[in-house]
Amino acid sequence: MNTVRLLSVCVLGLLLGSAALANPQRLDDSGSHTVPPNVQMQWRPLPPSGGAEPGMEAWVRVNLRIDTRQWVGRSGRIYMVLPRDQASSIEAVWTTQGRLLPGRLVSGDRTLVHTGTIHTATLEDQLLVRLRSGADWQGNSRRLNFHFELDAD
Amino acid sequence: MFLVSMCEGNPVNMKVIQSRSTTTSGRPLAAAVLLLLALVPTLNAHAWSIGIAAASRRVFLHVGNGTANANNGTINQVSVTLTGAQMLAGTPQAMTSNSTQSASLLDGFNTCPTPASQVIIGASYRRSNGGDGPASATLRVTSPTNLVSAAGDTIPFSQISWTVSAPGSGVPNVIPAGTFSGAAQTLTTIPANTYIENCHSFIYANSAVRAAGTYTGQVTYTLTSP
Repeated sequence: MNTVRLLSVCVLGLLLGSAALANPQRLDDSGSHTVPPNVQMQWRPLPPSGGAEPGMEAWVRVNLRIDTRQWVGRSGRIYMVLPRDQASSIEAVWTTQGRLLPGRLVSGDRTLVHTGTIHTATLEDQLLVRLRSGADWQGNSRRLNFHFELDAD
Repeated sequence: MFLVSMCEGNPVNMKVIQSRSTTTSGRPLAAAVLLLLALVPTLNAHAWSIGIAAASRRVFLHVGNGTANANNGTINQVSVTLTGAQMLAGTPQAMTSNSTQSASLLDGFNTCPTPASQVIIGASYRRSNGGDGPASATLRVTSPTNLVSAAGDTIPFSQISWTVSAPGSGVPNVIPAGTFSGAAQTLTTIPANTYIENCHSFIYANSAVRAAGTYTGQVTYTLTSP
């Protein structure tokens, strides 16, 4: 093995090692789906005269299926993440069937939904999510791309 | 050489890259790069997403008896009956209303405590973004030229004016007082995502002696966001 090749292997090994340990780890929840797949926001009632515009809201059910087979037996914290898509923030508040934690999440942030050891190859739950936003969108529609990430111990 | 990398639990696409000792000097590095690329966690997809549409642009107007967030076909009536002496005196006469709406449709506040002499008018305009319509909506009222009796006699609609009030409000004249013009007239503009309301009390000017009879006419309030 010449020097260049040996160096390449070493560098590669270091990179692989760091990649394996780096948090957070993006989780695959491509088996999830929402009901309905698209939703229209509704106006919230206006407050008494002079109050701030309360904005819009919508409700959606999310059937979650998170692939955790590569993490079975490991412990850590799983977060739901909502990347910021525009200046107008979205607030998501949800309840669960008990497998994951209920919570609240605002654009650009993440919220803990599971902590502890992962015992199963999939984490499944159903979320009832209330989405709220101000009346300050950039356009008439947008797409929210949630995802899950793991901070492994 | 076989390079087999075991990466604990990392959700990546693993590949085994084979290179031979007889490869040219550039191939090991290329293989390493390929492996690195293969090991980059898949950052796309694998997430739940939802398309959301903004609430539709909306105007809401109620005049007199109304229903929150629903249509109400009620047309309220304001009236005054003059005696001969009152007509001859020529003094303005307050009109009464058959409206029973005293509470705000917004928050239930007792905005018009005496609906028998007041007509509550409230309006809102909402849009989800700057491209979803103009910055304000326009509140107008349109009146015919005259009130007309069964005999065909007329009274100019301009004989009727109104004052405004809104107890407890810092802007009781948010819809200003005025006089019907016998045509379309703008009352005010409503900035996006606001609600306005106040009470209108109508007055007959009684500035001329009229033929006996019952004179009627109907005005129409409109809120538009073109």
